[in-house]
Amino acid sequence: MEFISENLLTLLILLPVFGAIGLIAHQMFWKQEDHLKWVTLGITLLIFVLSLLLLNSGTASSAGFFFEKNVPWISAINTNYHVGVDGLSLWLVILTTFIMPIAILSTWHAVEKKPLGFYVFLLLLQSAMIGVFVSLDLLVFYLFFEASLVPMFFLIGIWGGANRIYAAVKFFIFTAIGSLLMLVAIISLYFLHAKATGVGTFDYVTLLGTISNGGLPFEPITGTLLFLAFALAFAIKVPLFPFHTWLPDAHTEAPTAGSVILAAVLLKMGTYGLMRFCFTLFPDQSRELAPIFIVLAIVGIIYGALVAMVQPDVKRLVAYSSVAHMGFVILGMFSFTEWGMQGALFTMLAHGVSTGALFLLVGFIYERRHTREISEFGGLANVMPIYATVFVITAMSSVGLPFLNGFVGEFMIMLGMWTSSALAVTATVNWNYIATMAAGTGVIFAAVYLLWMIQRVFFGKVTNEKNRGLSDLSPREIGLMVPLLFLMVYMGVYPRPFLDRSREAVVQIQERVIKQAGGTIDRADSMQPIAVEK
Amino acid sequence: MIENNLLSIIIFAPLAGALINWLIGGRLRNEMFSGLVACGSIAISTVVAFYLAFFAHGGALFIKEPILDHIWTWINVGGFRADFALGMDPLSGIYACFITFVGLLIHIFATGYMKGDSGFYRFFAYLNLFMFAMLTLVLADNYLLMFVGWEGVGLCSYLLIGYYVKKNEAREAAKKAFVMNRIGDWGVLMGMFLIFTLTGSISFFDKTVDGEQVTSVFSFVLANMQAEPFTWGAIVAGGLTSVGVLMFIGATGKSAQIPLLTWLPDAMAGPTPVSALIHAATMVTAGVYLVVRSNAIYQLSPTAMWIIAVIGAATAIFAATIAIAQNDIKKVLAYSTVSQLGFMFLAAGVGAFVVAIFHVMTHAFFKALLFLGSGSVIHGMHHEQDMRKMGNLRKYMPITFITMFMGWLAIAGIPIWAGFFSKDEILYKTFAADKYFQNGYFPGNEILWVVAVITAILTAIYMTRMMVMTFWGTERYHDALPGEAHHNDLHAIDDDHAADHALHNDDDDEHHHALPHDFKPHESPWVMTVPLIILAFLSTVGGLIGIPYAMSSLPVVSSIVGKEANHFDRVLGPVVAEVDTPAAIKARENAKAHSPEAITTERWLAVLSVVLAAIGIAIGWFVFRISPLRKMPRILEEKWRLDEFYNGYIVDPLTRLSTVTLWKGFDLGFIDGIVNGIGSFVVALSSGVRRIQGGFVRSYAAFIIAGAVLVLGYFVYFGARLIG
Repeated sequence: MEFISENLLTLLILLPVFGAIGLIAHQMFWKQEDHLKWVTLGITLLIFVLSLLLLNSGTASSAGFFFEKNVPWISAINTNYHVGVDGLSLWLVILTTFIMPIAILSTWHAVEKKPLGFYVFLLLLQSAMIGVFVSLDLLVFYLFFEASLVPMFFLIGIWGGANRIYAAVKFFIFTAIGSLLMLVAIISLYFLHAKATGVGTFDYVTLLGTISNGGLPFEPITGTLLFLAFALAFAIKVPLFPFHTWLPDAHTEAPTAGSVILAAVLLKMGTYGLMRFCFTLFPDQSRELAPIFIVLAIVGIIYGALVAMVQPDVKRLVAYSSVAHMGFVILGMFSFTEWGMQGALFTMLAHGVSTGALFLLVGFIYERRHTREISEFGGLANVMPIYATVFVITAMSSVGLPFLNGFVGEFMIMLGMWTSSALAVTATVNWNYIATMAAGTGVIFAAVYLLWMIQRVFFGKVTNEKNRGLSDLSPREIGLMVPLLFLMVYMGVYPRPFLDRSREAVVQIQERVIKQAGGTIDRADSMQPIAVEK
Repeated sequence: MIENNLLSIIIFAPLAGALINWLIGGRLRNEMFSGLVACGSIAISTVVAFYLAFFAHGGALFIKEPILDHIWTWINVGGFRADFALGMDPLSGIYACFITFVGLLIHIFATGYMKGDSGFYRFFAYLNLFMFAMLTLVLADNYLLMFVGWEGVGLCSYLLIGYYVKKNEAREAAKKAFVMNRIGDWGVLMGMFLIFTLTGSISFFDKTVDGEQVTSVFSFVLANMQAEPFTWGAIVAGGLTSVGVLMFIGATGKSAQIPLLTWLPDAMAGPTPVSALIHAATMVTAGVYLVVRSNAIYQLSPTAMWIIAVIGAATAIFAATIAIAQNDIKKVLAYSTVSQLGFMFLAAGVGAFVVAIFHVMTHAFFKALLFLGSGSVIHGMHHEQDMRKMGNLRKYMPITFITMFMGWLAIAGIPIWAGFFSKDEILYKTFAADKYFQNGYFPGNEILWVVAVITAILTAIYMTRMMVMTFWGTERYHDALPGEAHHNDLHAIDDDHAADHALHNDDDDEHHHALPHDFKPHESPWVMTVPLIILAFLSTVGGLIGIPYAMSSLPVVSSIVGKEANHFDRVLGPVVAEVDTPAAIKARENAKAHSPEAITTERWLAVLSVVLAAIGIAIGWFVFRISPLRKMPRILEEKWRLDEFYNGYIVDPLTRLSTVTLWKGFDLGFIDGIVNGIGSFVVALSSGVRRIQGGFVRSYAAFIIAGAVLVLGYFVYFGARLIG
């Protein structure tokens, strides 16, 4: 037990890898392909249960990280295997371990070719994703960040739809370009640190310390370039408008499990990276360039929603809705308020649950009909009432209906943007208000595109004879939707456990960004109403 | 601070009912069970609501402090606090009482109306869920929880309008309702953000929670803020006027005012009890609730109030002109509802907040009655809704006829019926707005009064037309409509169960059936007529609790009811915040003074409006009794082509922009063009090394791993050397 809690994060990273090796060994000796999914499911469930131990966190290290582990790796370049979680990464790790068994259950009958490779890649992907969220060494982070790309590339490229090669290559090119720039920035940081202090380091905590002591002053242009190199890598991953065009293709072509993981976890690596690395390493640059990100986020919200509205393919529609939702996350983060940043983190989780669920639901219907064209459907509520009910609830959560999880996050993001000082406040116009009002229209459009799709797919008479004999959800399918539905309601009605645990970490980052502005901390509790004298 | 946990029962009983019907009712498929669960849960809410409003702690309606119930802390982040907590003061008390009571009657009615529908349990689950949301809306003790109910009723309205999922117009209408409501919701959200930044609170009541003192929005506004100037600039200045306008945008969505009004008439595609409950009595008055609840803010923002009054009056007359030309009995009532809601906003806009709520209540009685009556007619006519195919129904449906007759008198404004007192007060308060308006000066009140009076006449005319076409004249049950000769034949072929309307086919749709040749309309069963009778009673005497002073001081009247007979005003008076600007103080004094001139004016205006109502009824009677099928102006029949305008100038261009410019142009054309260009460049470049691209997954993987090792090795090696 002691061993487990000492090495919990390492276990979480390595268990999927061991699982993958085990799968290969199993296949070599027994050659029972239908065992594979059971074994994989068992492994991922075990990992999920283990990851829940993270909630039982002990005392934090000096930098505020729990379950920290710091051992030298390649001492020649002073890079360490340094991992740890805090309030920012905690829920993202659990989201990852939670969504994996569900994703695997969703593939029960869907994988026809090469199941061994499929499950091995899924497990390797999980290992990489957990690694991304817990790494505290930039080089290790980078390796995991890149490593997550490869399994996904193959998942799309081998088990994807008709146009899978194009989508896989596009996905790869987009994200690889961004992350290569990030690698350059990471190495530059190493040498800059070496120049300033005599010791080069990739260690995040060390870098933070040096930067806040003023030990690592950047030339303005260097700082901006480094920030942009990081930010671009993450912005592509999010994806932020206009780097989003890989997403609809990747989502549409990926197998259901791939889409679910892509939406639920992979996109969050971008927003997580922005908050973890860009904000804390480059607080001044983050603040200065915030208006650009805010504008792009708002464009993304409206653009994503408008384009989602006219998609003929359900999966593509959900993909574009992701662009809009992630725009909200970026908006909240760059408001640099506690509300906005907490809301952003909460929306990451909520989006993971509800958009993941939407992709699962799209997968269910695809398995039955082998099409996702909206025009092929109509009147499904008559033949698949349970499916329709679940779909409508999930869509409502995505639309941001209060008491479902989407609302809490979006509300806090907008509140954060409204009260932000990231944009200019002139005598006549408060641009933060304008930004919030513009972003708020996204809430209207979300209702338009989802309800319009629901109307065309589910309501009306059954027009297509092929849909008449469709079977409703099986117990397995219901079983894997139930935990997601439960979370949608629970997070919407009682969000405090999630918000309370992430507060400290988020506020730390927020203060770091704001403090550099000249001492004053724009904490929420300092926000007093403006009393007008009579 | 008075706390009472019973308050939460009012909202949770319907929620429990919804869940039971959804989870268990769906299995049992027993109408008796589903009906009992649904009605029983509302009955519990009703009893508790009346107990708290009239008896507990002296009755929430009569005591100064609200009754509060903190259930849990929903969001508490960085100084922003939103509780899941309820509060009952006179305003929410009145609302809770009439919502639960009218709701109960409509639930009972619906058990008869929906008999035989295969989605019976689902219908009642939605209906209970709606009651939960609506009661949360009015009992919430802060803006955010109110917004939860606000969105919740929107969702239930969506589900219930689209209840007949196979009807094309039903699903279109459901979506339209939700989207238009959402446009309004945007305003409420933004208004909420602004009020929070101005006051640091979103709570309605002063209270102590978890040892923390919470100041309400309104106490803060009254203590710290001044009246804003009456200018256009105030709208965008980011002060209280901006809050008022943003919140009113929300109200226009929920309460179907210009410009967001077109969803309500379309919503009539839902089952008739839904139209009565949601789209007449309760949900659509939520906008009025919001405005009256925020009256402390509005009293300080004259511009916002003026806009409300103007929009209200404009909507009232606009909808009334359309109502006069509709042939669908439910459409007439729908436009009538829009028009009456306009009256309520007119009242709120001229500062007569209590009168606005009075009209909300009387309207809930008589409009629920009229809608349920129309439901009874539709039921008796085998789901025929076109009045051109009705006629002489009073012979076959006497109870429905007499009860609807009461509703007709009430809405037309005939003395002692409920609508007379409330509508007359609105007309008078508009006429004398300069005197009672909290900001002293109200430009254009005479024009608004004229508009309101014309609307009142139109109301009498279109209601008379509806009554005449339905209950008098010849029996036109088998007449073919002009241009629709084939319509019936098609239906006859479509429908195997035409003869027995109780036995719906598997479509469970409310489409009307071709009538057999020996068809005779029939009176509805008692579960439907008893609610009608109760509502007819309330529509007749319900207004007597708010007799204005000008009338109760008449010697004849005061000998019966006493001089101070405006109980409604006395109870709800404290809800209106006592703003201490000089103009507001003057307005309050004027209202208390009951000067002889004012009383005389009010009496003469009352006489005038009765005369005008009588003229309206007479016009309606003589015109439509002679030719019930008289052709109405086409532009009115087509609803001023507002839908066509919206589709042509907003919806279609936006769809085109999204498809052509954004998606196909920018995404696929521009960005992907660049990416693909780079891609094909690389492909061309690498065609020389094609040999190593065997296409095998394994070799791809090997290359990637080898590449990664190379890159890494390079950095490890050179990095180490550099540091040395």
